[in-house]
Amino acid sequence: MNGSGCGTPGIRMTGVSFRQSHFRLGPIDLEVPAGFVTAIVGPNSSGKSTTFRLLMDLMKPDEGSIEVLGCKIGGGKRVDLLRRIGYLPEEPYIYDNVLRAMDKAEFHRQWYPGWDVNRYRELLGLFEVDHSLRLDKMSKGMRRKFDLALTLSHHPELLLLDEPSSGLDPISWRAMIDLLHRYMESGDRTILIATHIVEEVKRLADYIVFMTSGKVLGMYEKDELLTGWHQFYFSGGLGEWRGELSEMPGLVALEDAGGVVRAVTSRARDAEAWLAARELSPAGRKAMELDDILAALVERQKRLRHQGTKGVMQ
Amino acid sequence: MWMSIQLNEYSAEPLYHQIEVQLRALIVSGQLKEGTLLPSIREMAQHLKCSVITIRRVYQDLEAEGLIVTRQGTGTFVAKVDPVERSRHRLEPVIAAMREAVAAGLRVRCSDEELRELFENALREARENRSPRGDGVNRTAEGENEG
Repeated sequence: MNGSGCGTPGIRMTGVSFRQSHFRLGPIDLEVPAGFVTAIVGPNSSGKSTTFRLLMDLMKPDEGSIEVLGCKIGGGKRVDLLRRIGYLPEEPYIYDNVLRAMDKAEFHRQWYPGWDVNRYRELLGLFEVDHSLRLDKMSKGMRRKFDLALTLSHHPELLLLDEPSSGLDPISWRAMIDLLHRYMESGDRTILIATHIVEEVKRLADYIVFMTSGKVLGMYEKDELLTGWHQFYFSGGLGEWRGELSEMPGLVALEDAGGVVRAVTSRARDAEAWLAARELSPAGRKAMELDDILAALVERQKRLRHQGTKGVMQ
Repeated sequence: MWMSIQLNEYSAEPLYHQIEVQLRALIVSGQLKEGTLLPSIREMAQHLKCSVITIRRVYQDLEAEGLIVTRQGTGTFVAKVDPVERSRHRLEPVIAAMREAVAAGLRVRCSDEELRELFENALREARENRSPRGDGVNRTAEGENEG
């Protein structure tokens, strides 16, 4: 066993940056706790897949250091580490196209001493995958399910899943969610999953990492985030409310929404008490969905970049 | 039985608190009997679509209150509830609700007499509105979707 005790992060990225001609990732500081499911959520080309490739040592960062399962990346013993990881890339490898699925599995298993043929069979059964088919003859969804089965068949300690559900039908999707929960049951395993499907995050994640334009906007405990972020509506114009509401706890955004003022807070309970103490009654309120929160965070990021560091909001 | 726990995701009340209140009520009311095996933390989280962090907190709190016990390797079980404890727990929310109602009455300057009358009326109404004695099975209909 790896001997990692409680509190050891599954992944630790310190000051990691990576430059390409058209894209710059980082600097990223991130700790993914072991024993939990952490979802990376962000718009397209926010750097999620690049992050996975860096973690898998498929690309080298320009700066910073990366530790995965307690091992430094780029410091030898690469194969030993990779055997403890299950990585599902965003796109299937095109070089595999001409192989039958069973031949790919045959090749794949040679790299993994922990390969469990019964587990592999069980997963094929669960997903109803016919592994006698050639990979390029499979539908997108079936190929995804086959790759997912391969990813899990050597009992990895860490799963890196890059948009695992793309192409899955709703039934297979449910099966996948359930499978991943059961994978986590033992308590010492870790999942890092990139996704932009809100429902997937809701059902799976313990922690959420927001990413945009190559930067980490923040890491949150899911339930705290979803119960903390609310929006309040006040009838009237921004002019009459701006002064009054600017001190509202957790205020993230305050804007005119056509005849009503919309105030977004990341600390709903504090804001509630604060409003009550001032006898201010909102005309309405609403909890926010994950995508609304992401949008608000991206918006705030842009605003802060414009303003420099002055006018920092909580 | 624990499956009946329902969360209001649109409330600002922390999820761990919502779950704790309901699970505690199920245990002290005896709806979850002593020795009942509770789902694992991960299973409960999956069912309620919340994080294991939340469920772990709930289990820790209820364990500290002596309402559940975790046996290493076997799981988490409902503990024996002391009868005195049970009646205290049972009445706690009622007492709180009564206080709440009295405070509401006093805010609009009800007299004691008025309050007593309101209480009697509410009680009578509740008794009268109770469905006539049925088959003894108290099953709530699941929400059915109609197109």
